[in-house]
Amino acid sequence: MYGRQTGVRELTFAVGPGEVFGFLGPNGAGKTTTIRLMLDLIRPTSGRLEIFGLDARTESVEIRQRTGYVPGDLRLYDRLTGRELLEFLAHLRGVRHLRYAEELAERLGLGLDRPIHALSKGNRQKVGLVQAFMHRPELLVLDEPTAGLDPLVQQVFYDLVGEAAAEGRTVFLSSHVLSEVQHIAGRVAVVREGLLVLVDEIESLRERAATRVEATFEEAPPPGAFADVAGVTEVERRGPTVVYSLRGPADPLVKALARYRVLGLDSHEADLEDVFVGLYRGEDAA
Amino acid sequence: MLRSVFAKTLRDARRGVLWWSLGLAGLAAMMVAVYPSVRDNPSLDKLLESYPEALRGVIGFGGELDYSSGAGYLGIELFSFMVPLLLIVVTVAAGAGAVAGEEERGTLDLLLSTPVSRRRLVVEKLGALVVEVVVLGAVLWLALVVGSNAGDLGVSAAHLGAATAGAVLLALGFGTIALLVGAASGRRSRAIAVAAAGAVAAYLVDSLASLSSVLEALQPASPFYHYSASDPLRHGLQAEHAAFLVAVVVAAAVLAVVAVERRDFRT
Repeated sequence: MYGRQTGVRELTFAVGPGEVFGFLGPNGAGKTTTIRLMLDLIRPTSGRLEIFGLDARTESVEIRQRTGYVPGDLRLYDRLTGRELLEFLAHLRGVRHLRYAEELAERLGLGLDRPIHALSKGNRQKVGLVQAFMHRPELLVLDEPTAGLDPLVQQVFYDLVGEAAAEGRTVFLSSHVLSEVQHIAGRVAVVREGLLVLVDEIESLRERAATRVEATFEEAPPPGAFADVAGVTEVERRGPTVVYSLRGPADPLVKALARYRVLGLDSHEADLEDVFVGLYRGEDAA
Repeated sequence: MLRSVFAKTLRDARRGVLWWSLGLAGLAAMMVAVYPSVRDNPSLDKLLESYPEALRGVIGFGGELDYSSGAGYLGIELFSFMVPLLLIVVTVAAGAGAVAGEEERGTLDLLLSTPVSRRRLVVEKLGALVVEVVVLGAVLWLALVVGSNAGDLGVSAAHLGAATAGAVLLALGFGTIALLVGAASGRRSRAIAVAAAGAVAAYLVDSLASLSSVLEALQPASPFYHYSASDPLRHGLQAEHAAFLVAVVVAAAVLAVVAVERRDFRT
């Protein structure tokens, strides 16, 4: 997949301390490639990547000392038990005891005494999370970290991310679905085909997203009747019901609707997922 | 046992090392047990004399070919082929898997997300490989020393040690080449293929050197030549030959560090 092909072409962004940063894009967009560049598992043909002000290529060992990582395709040493694996990684990272690791495992509902090959996918993912968090790193790099986790455990994970951020640690979180990150990330970057599509606050993305307004008329206005109304586009038509997408203030649409007999009116909050689907396809959200 | 990459690699290898140790010790014991009946059969030495030169090169281990001395017997039966073959098989398999095995199983991403540099990874993996083969060599040596005394083979512990040490260094050379190719390519199968082909070629060049002037000119480049040239079971391992075998290991190790530094690891 990586070989001689270019996985990532142009990505420029900066993430600050204490930030929870969502890194989004469809599968194959270059998220994992970017993350593996951060850990010096692969090297860029050109460009520069700095973490903690250190060069990701030449000062990688020091960066990794201060980083926790959950690989997107998590593979563990199957013959070890969870505890043995954590012991091994703790030694390599200079962590003296497993107290915090055991606390994390307990919160995630993970038993550490079974060999890893006997664990379910979800439990292996928990081992991956524990080893990433156990040394309280300044930076957490998490590639699709909730894969295989049930919703209750996902909530524990969100709590852990929140706590890390509250302690001033940085979380870099990749995902191909927005819903995974939209409640915990402050900012997101969206990549598509190795290019950065946007970097923005979740909140301002929400503002950029359209509201869906569904109006049911006694007699539907002819198509194009609202073409001149500011911020409004007709999306769909089912008999007497017309769905409009609205950006900006609602007033022009309300005034325009007032000229007709409206039997029902329904509006949905901005759906970020729709914005992202648009971005993935290459349409501009604005 | 889980304090470092070195220690964990040895821990992973412990079962294999145990079985191989038993196998090598068993082989040595069996060979020593058979020796009396071979020694007392003078027709075997006559048979050896009738062998063509090429065949004598294949079955020989440095010095005179004979079945009537312990050194001659062990040279033909163990050190000319069987011992290096077995040690090379173990070492090449372990060397090929050292880095490429982690990469193929996908555990390298996790391992290298810790503050372990690529160079340290190679050095610790090589260190574990060295310990594994040295342990096997030590077991074989012990079995031979005990057997040689019990069966009255008349080969000193020092000379048995020289021959075994030569075999260990020889195997480490090919094992380190396998580690190098695995680290450079990320593929275990390629590492095994290259190292095994190298070992076969080196063996043939050395064994068949008497057949052609080309092979004879190449002979000093073959590790097998340096392994056997000083007739270790009778005269010990000469420093210059040992140095050649060590140089192969060091050169492959240095290249492995250089190669692994340039890699883009696969997921």
